[in-house]
Amino acid sequence: MTVRNIEGVAPVAAPLREPMREKLARWVFALPLAFMLLFFALPMALTFVFSVFERTMFWMEPGFTLFSYENFFFSARLENFLSSMYYSGIAVIVCFVLGFPIAVFLRKSVPQVAQHRVVLLFILPFMVSEIIRVFALRPVLQRNGLVNTTLQNLGLIDEPITALLYTHTGVIIGEVMSFLPFIIFSGFLAMEAVPKYIFEVCDDLGAGPVRRFLDVILPLAAPGIFAGCTFIFVNGLGVALLPNILGGAGAVNAGLIATQAIAALDFPLAMAVSAIMMTTLMALLYIGHRLFDLTKILSPIN
Amino acid sequence: MNQTEFNRRQLLALMGSAAAVAGLPRGAMAAEALKLWAPGIAKVGGNDWSAMEAQAGVSIAPIAKSARADESIQKMVVGDGNSLYDAMTDNGGGMEDALASQGAIVPLDASRIANFSNMVADYQDGGAAADTIRYNGDLVAIPYISNADSLAFNHGVIGEELSSWEALFDSQFRGRAAMQNDFGPTLTNTAIYLKQSGKQDIENPSDMSEAEVRGVCQFLIDLKKKGHFRTFWDGVQNGADLLSSEEVLVSSCWEVIQIFAARKNGADIRYGTMKEGHQAWNNVVMLTRGGKERGMEDAFYALANVYLSPWFGARTLAGLGFTPQMVGVNEYIDAHPDDFDADTKAITAERLARKQERIVVPGNSWQNVFPTNIRAYQDWWARVQAA
Repeated sequence: MTVRNIEGVAPVAAPLREPMREKLARWVFALPLAFMLLFFALPMALTFVFSVFERTMFWMEPGFTLFSYENFFFSARLENFLSSMYYSGIAVIVCFVLGFPIAVFLRKSVPQVAQHRVVLLFILPFMVSEIIRVFALRPVLQRNGLVNTTLQNLGLIDEPITALLYTHTGVIIGEVMSFLPFIIFSGFLAMEAVPKYIFEVCDDLGAGPVRRFLDVILPLAAPGIFAGCTFIFVNGLGVALLPNILGGAGAVNAGLIATQAIAALDFPLAMAVSAIMMTTLMALLYIGHRLFDLTKILSPIN
Repeated sequence: MNQTEFNRRQLLALMGSAAAVAGLPRGAMAAEALKLWAPGIAKVGGNDWSAMEAQAGVSIAPIAKSARADESIQKMVVGDGNSLYDAMTDNGGGMEDALASQGAIVPLDASRIANFSNMVADYQDGGAAADTIRYNGDLVAIPYISNADSLAFNHGVIGEELSSWEALFDSQFRGRAAMQNDFGPTLTNTAIYLKQSGKQDIENPSDMSEAEVRGVCQFLIDLKKKGHFRTFWDGVQNGADLLSSEEVLVSSCWEVIQIFAARKNGADIRYGTMKEGHQAWNNVVMLTRGGKERGMEDAFYALANVYLSPWFGARTLAGLGFTPQMVGVNEYIDAHPDDFDADTKAITAERLARKQERIVVPGNSWQNVFPTNIRAYQDWWARVQAA
């Protein structure tokens, strides 16, 4: 009887415990999916839905109209948007040229035990509010600011350089100052795909720095570099305070267009601008994925 | 007593208090602080609200507010502003109509404000600014500051007084001129200039037709393409920095910007009277529907009474350069030499006299937060920015 009882219980109890664990495990893995749905897919979908609503005097009401898109594509706003893409692109290039060599240097020349500590140094500027950092650039770049005063005192210029502030150049300087650490971080991660011995092999084979960079480092680190560049590009498009504080009379980006639409109580237009920005980002990510397989970003860590 | 006990006791005490408050009738809440949604310029007498509280005899819980119309609408019409704020400030000449039409603010009883009769004549029934505090004939707002915006200029560098908007658009200031990054005041001031100088037919600079808006913006676009404007400023700090750093020599701006810019490095930066006219505006304080429902009317009327007192008017004039909304300010200043020394007295008298000059210029137009063709304003302003 005892044996039979044990035998009778054991086959019943074992299958009960296993499915419960499996069920829980499934739910745990579903959590990120639920998070993405709740905080990414749903807001995105709502942004598209609201963008086709009818505008009322103070808010919007359900309906279907493409007026906001017409208002965007057939007005100066499109020109502003394209212009901000152009200047964000320049900021990405400058960030890459300045930041990626730092990432390579960190991986190649800094002892491994110290690498992460050195990277932490680049987090320090982020301890200060972005608005303060951007505002602090004005006394440096303005007509009688630090740069001009220094150059004049050194006798290098007679008249102050006015192109540094309240111009597109000012916005690009602000974007580089704000977003440079991102290319350093992503470059640092991307360089994990390039083992140190690769540099030695290149040296042994007589590959010069240019060829080593173009043929070896760039292909291996491309997914990480692309991710960093996309981050900078999208921020350049969206962070309204940069053109607002450092830009001149014509410096506008997509974030500022949306902000201005909200200030004018045109919420469907603000949603349409946001939807267009998100579509641009998605298109960029798709192209990047097709070209570089962005899943590789995580493979060095694995 | 360890930290755990302390926290638990505190929590219990808080729960007890909350339960007690929940059980009280609504009228008993009147002893609570008046939750006032207002910008810093709504207070005088120091860095905090204690002087205002002492004058009004009520507690005030201020909540910082910007000057953006969309913020007010979002909070008060679409959002939960009525459960958050008992009173609020905003621009007269549009916002009070918008908020009253949506039931966000309530009509006021002038008889409960002792200083109401002190209010300047323009606001009394039939006055030029009477509509800016009324909705459908009902009083819904109390003005606390106003001004007629003009041109600030660096007299030290320019070496002469400027008395026409012509200077702002003159080629001698190419690359050294600025305007506000807001289509309302910028287009209105430009329209006043174009109308009064006979350069464009404009019926009402405060409420232009689409064709008129196009003409005004085209004028600005042409100038902008020539590199005339250094930037369009946003905020007091930005506007003051532009002038004090000599990035710009002429700027259409709020008077407080000129005052701050002149104070900053002692430069001779002045605020002119423009012969073509100015955009006039005011800021008003309103009682929210939620504030009335929570029994905060007495506290509100006490504060409104302070806003219409020479005590407030003299201090906002001396400190921030805003126009007092009541009569008797000069007499008050004369009667309080301990609070206003000879220099301050001279400055306020001169400032008030210049304000009077600006206010009576025939070409003045009143601020309009929601012009009839607001879409044309927005669309053409985007083109100005893109040019």
